[in-house]
Amino acid sequence: MSPEVFILVLVFGALLVLGIPIAVCIGLASVATILMLVELPAGYMVAQRISMGIASFPLLAIPFFILAGILMGEGGLARRLMDFAFSLVGRFPGGLAYMNTLSCMLFGAVSGSAAAAVSSIGSFMIPQMEQRGYKREFAVALTATSATTGLLIPPSNIMIVFAVVSGNVSVAALFLGGVLPGLAVGLAIMAGTWFTLRVLKGVALQTPAAPGDGGPQALPTPGVWKSFLGATPSLLLVVVVLGGILGGVFSATEASAIAVAYCLILGMVIYREIKPSALPRLLLKGALTTAVVMLLVGASQAMSWVLSYEQVPQMVSQAMLSLSANPLMVLLLINLLLLAVGVFMDMTPAVLIFTPIFLPVVVELGMDPVHFGIVMITNLCIGLCTPPVGACLFVACGVGRTSIVRVMPAAIPLFIAMLLALLVITYWPPLSLALPRLFGLL
Amino acid sequence: MKNPLFLRIWEGVVRLLEGTVVTIFGALVFAVLWGVVSRYLPGIRPSAWTEELAISLLVWLTLLGAALGFRSHAHLGVDYFVNKLEPSASKAAVVLGEVTVFGFAAFALVYGGWRLVTETLATGQITPVLQWPMGWLYAAAPISGIFICAFCIEHLLRPAAFSSPASELSLAD
Repeated sequence: MSPEVFILVLVFGALLVLGIPIAVCIGLASVATILMLVELPAGYMVAQRISMGIASFPLLAIPFFILAGILMGEGGLARRLMDFAFSLVGRFPGGLAYMNTLSCMLFGAVSGSAAAAVSSIGSFMIPQMEQRGYKREFAVALTATSATTGLLIPPSNIMIVFAVVSGNVSVAALFLGGVLPGLAVGLAIMAGTWFTLRVLKGVALQTPAAPGDGGPQALPTPGVWKSFLGATPSLLLVVVVLGGILGGVFSATEASAIAVAYCLILGMVIYREIKPSALPRLLLKGALTTAVVMLLVGASQAMSWVLSYEQVPQMVSQAMLSLSANPLMVLLLINLLLLAVGVFMDMTPAVLIFTPIFLPVVVELGMDPVHFGIVMITNLCIGLCTPPVGACLFVACGVGRTSIVRVMPAAIPLFIAMLLALLVITYWPPLSLALPRLFGLL
Repeated sequence: MKNPLFLRIWEGVVRLLEGTVVTIFGALVFAVLWGVVSRYLPGIRPSAWTEELAISLLVWLTLLGAALGFRSHAHLGVDYFVNKLEPSASKAAVVLGEVTVFGFAAFALVYGGWRLVTETLATGQITPVLQWPMGWLYAAAPISGIFICAFCIEHLLRPAAFSSPASELSLAD
């Protein structure tokens, strides 16, 4: 390890442990390393990399999808999607639990953001489930894990981030590649729910006899057709966004702007749940979320310049391949490393920092970058639900007014389900690649 | 910071910054939508400038918004270890954090950004479509840096005004 790389890792690690915002950790570690390469002006370089790192047309989709997500949350969309989900699965035993997962998947397909799904779906579903005999802790764990499926089901902001840092991966291919894995994770969580309701009743139910059999009988199931009509304008957005991108009508960025326009019209004119006077507040909220994400993207561009100048990816690649040249082992190793990272770090910085390091390794082994992106995102989704740092878990605990420690017993079976889904997604590439290939994107 | 007039002016400056960010976001939505509309509606010439304008607005939105993010402690960090510290040590960590952010903003964004702006302006580089001087695109960095430094000082001088816990903001939001 060269002294520059040593300083980079040391400064980054020390600042991270001190709780300094990660964007600043990345920026200062880059400054310190560039300062050691005496012929370069460090401040100038970092300021330039940050600015140029943000100035990219594909990244423009991120603020728009964030804004669209906020507008949908305010615009009365979540409730209509939940009605539809309930009409589909409400009649089955444990229907309310499956409805929770399905609503999160539908919401994710529309907004592509997990914590928004947790707060929109959770604030309705958690009290409902508790009223019908489920333990509150189980409802919280279920909402947190289910919401992460939205990051795999397109549109998904984290995929745009991955596409940009990985260089030349197509956003459309990633979006399409995420569809089946997203469904797989959702199904795995439903299977975990089924297992919990069958075998671990005490974890999920207040009394052993309650909703596991018969389900929430007291709730009348709305007609499938009627609730489908109610949810149609929201579901139509998925068709417009994905269809437009895949059909080559517009780019992902343009699609995201159309999504904003669509949500504005839906929320202000058709559902009339957003007042014009609320717009500045919503824009400011969206701008702050955008700035947090994009500053990280810009700063990590400075660091990835340093990393590639110091040939770190090549070093890591050689080190890992010297451990084992067996792709199965290397992938297992990377997955374990990422799981550990995800426990302590939020998804966006983890993707930004580790994509440039690990991608060359797996490409060397013949893995498709699209497949790796899906694997990485699935992996880090688990980290979003694990303490001590897990955005989805925190929001869900906040909505359900319970503590992380109490939620854990109910969450563990669902984590195992997600881990199994991760294994399948990692070692069965067609799940991620079949759809993009079918549409000629790979 | 005992002077209420000074505080009022300062709050006004912050509101102004918020208003600017909101305006930029609105303009950004409009620019990209206009790009799509002008491409598909007959009778309107496709606008080449929308993409370039949108990218410049994104740089400004991010850097000015990031400054506001520092004010409201919205940026993601790993607070697990700091939360485990004793109160006195964790107070010291908070001060150290502010000093670190100040140092980064002052060196990279204000000083580095200033050099970037002046040196780029001196080369006379212009953007391809709008023909604007490239240096002005970069001006967002030093301006954002000045605000971040000011917010760090504000945090240290009026800790009571920012005692609410950090909000959970991320892509997951």
